[in-house]
Amino acid sequence: MLPAICVSFLLLASACGSDNGDNETSSSSGSSDASNDGSNSNDEAASVSGNVTISGSSTVEPISIRVAELFEDVAPDVSVTVDGPGTGDGFKLFCEGETDISDASRQIKDTEKASCFENGVDNIVELKVGVDGIAVMTSAANTAVECLSFEQLFALIGPAGEGTKTWGEASPGLPDTPLDVFGPGEESGTFDSFLEIVFEDLAEEQGLEATTRTDYSPSGDDNVILQGIQSSDTSLGWTGFAFAVNAQNVRLIPVDGGDGNCVEPTPDSIASNQYPISRDLWIYVNADKAAANPAVTAYIDFYVTEGLKQAVGEVGYVPLTDAAQAETQGRWNAMETIS
Amino acid sequence: MISRLVDDRARSAIAGSIRSRRVDVRGALFRSLLQSALVLTLLILAVLLVSVFTDSWSQISGRLGDFLSGTLRSRSSDGGLGVHQGIYGSLWIGVIVAVLAFPIGIGAAVYLEEYAPRNRFTSFIEVNIRNLAGVPSVVYGLLGLAILVNGDIFGLDRLTGGRSTLSAGITLAVLVLPIVIITSGEAFRAVPNELREGAYGVGATRWEMIRTQVLPYAAPGILTGTLLSMARAVGEAAPLILVGAVTGRLGDNPALLDLGALADRFTALPIVITSWTQQSGRDVGFAAAAAGAIVVLLVFVLIMNSAAIGLRNRFEKKRG
Repeated sequence: MLPAICVSFLLLASACGSDNGDNETSSSSGSSDASNDGSNSNDEAASVSGNVTISGSSTVEPISIRVAELFEDVAPDVSVTVDGPGTGDGFKLFCEGETDISDASRQIKDTEKASCFENGVDNIVELKVGVDGIAVMTSAANTAVECLSFEQLFALIGPAGEGTKTWGEASPGLPDTPLDVFGPGEESGTFDSFLEIVFEDLAEEQGLEATTRTDYSPSGDDNVILQGIQSSDTSLGWTGFAFAVNAQNVRLIPVDGGDGNCVEPTPDSIASNQYPISRDLWIYVNADKAAANPAVTAYIDFYVTEGLKQAVGEVGYVPLTDAAQAETQGRWNAMETIS
Repeated sequence: MISRLVDDRARSAIAGSIRSRRVDVRGALFRSLLQSALVLTLLILAVLLVSVFTDSWSQISGRLGDFLSGTLRSRSSDGGLGVHQGIYGSLWIGVIVAVLAFPIGIGAAVYLEEYAPRNRFTSFIEVNIRNLAGVPSVVYGLLGLAILVNGDIFGLDRLTGGRSTLSAGITLAVLVLPIVIITSGEAFRAVPNELREGAYGVGATRWEMIRTQVLPYAAPGILTGTLLSMARAVGEAAPLILVGAVTGRLGDNPALLDLGALADRFTALPIVITSWTQQSGRDVGFAAAAAGAIVVLLVFVLIMNSAAIGLRNRFEKKRG
């Protein structure tokens, strides 16, 4: 009974599916007007059709989606599906050959690479697409704090800081002024990134949980966090860099990642990874699938040009420097695969 | 007779309590307790509805049409943001559940109640069905993942298209099947035996008896049960995530009646709500969109319920 119904559904499905395809081709001719620079590649892209399947990091997910949205105006017949179960789960699907592209907020691990190669996913192109940076802020009036190390941040905002009322009480050596903490809540990707980059190693060393103190005011809205930081002269808070850099009446605190250098967050220092609370965002392309499917090639062509310029900044990340963009484009054009 | 059993003292006590105008304090207290239980329930519902509606106002007042026809987007300010793909998924999951779970479930219930002999084996089966109704939905999601998406056993993934609306619908049909069997069984059990005996008495066969007496009498009860299971299926998110519902971006935005997309990747209203709620951490405008999607899901379930209630009333009139 059950398979019989499935079959009947599927027959309907395939019949209608081909209909759908015809509709798409007929509508494609009239909508190539929305291209960006009118170059040849965009004209070519307009005639491309097919499916692109992307999975992986939920941090990179918005970039890939935004690129797909921009690409849709150029190539309306390409259907891009993006999912964000996480970097590790994404690689699992990618290595099984289920997806064309894998989003990643870290580089591929050797074990993951090995499982890809085992399954015959041999030709993988690794492309850096943007940088995720997090800014630590205080009120513009607070000049007493020159620089914060990861240890100090962990002491101030980590679980050991629970209940402390002043900067000095949480981390000896800092001024004895009231400590008012503002930051994103657990539902936020910025929250997760902050914990991963700043807290995880220290928490393990100190035998504590890699989480924040619970007695601060979390908010999902960056503007609310900003208002909180502005409201107190001795506040401490953190948001994504792309948001923080445009904020008024706050001071971005330089951060020492453990090598003794205090680095101020700037687009350059983040894009070059000198600023310690930053991490590169990657996409991994299955080159064999790209070779077989012009839709994937066209999408990545668009990704490494318009995507890197426009989409990365639009969804709140730091775009690559021009040199890094050129490097990504070079890698893609040369189809440099990882080994 | 009574006067002999009840002595004078008892008689005067009873007479006293009947004649007196004593205020029944404890009774009034009990009544107000019951009322406050009802008021509390309604209050929680009201708070929920008011907060959801106010949160969603920016989406459903200004751009309802766009919101209903739009798709998953990367930014909440995008004019193309909307729930159409979610409605498509939920609608067809509901249809597949109705097509698969209802006939199979009601059929199994008819057999268990009307045909199967009452012995240890059938009561063992009934206990198992009740247990199945209590199994967490994630487990059914894993079952769907293994059999329908990965095709571990019969290679069914070739029929369902893997991570598709079809797989999701079948998974949820299996999920609600035990509930449909149990509630239909209860409805059949509530049919008075006199009806069955009457039918036999005028020479009906068992099939005729079930068709003309049991099914019409039990129909309203069956509908109530199937309705509840349908609402459950449409509201489930956890098994859908396992079966591969898309949270980020779905390439196509099929028309509501486009059967061709049933074997494609899918999303559903509960998934859209979950995804947007998570994204509100990155882009706060998604909170309003998530609230809007909740309103759409509520209206969706409401429409389904009223259809079922309408049907039930028709059956009840026939029965009356």
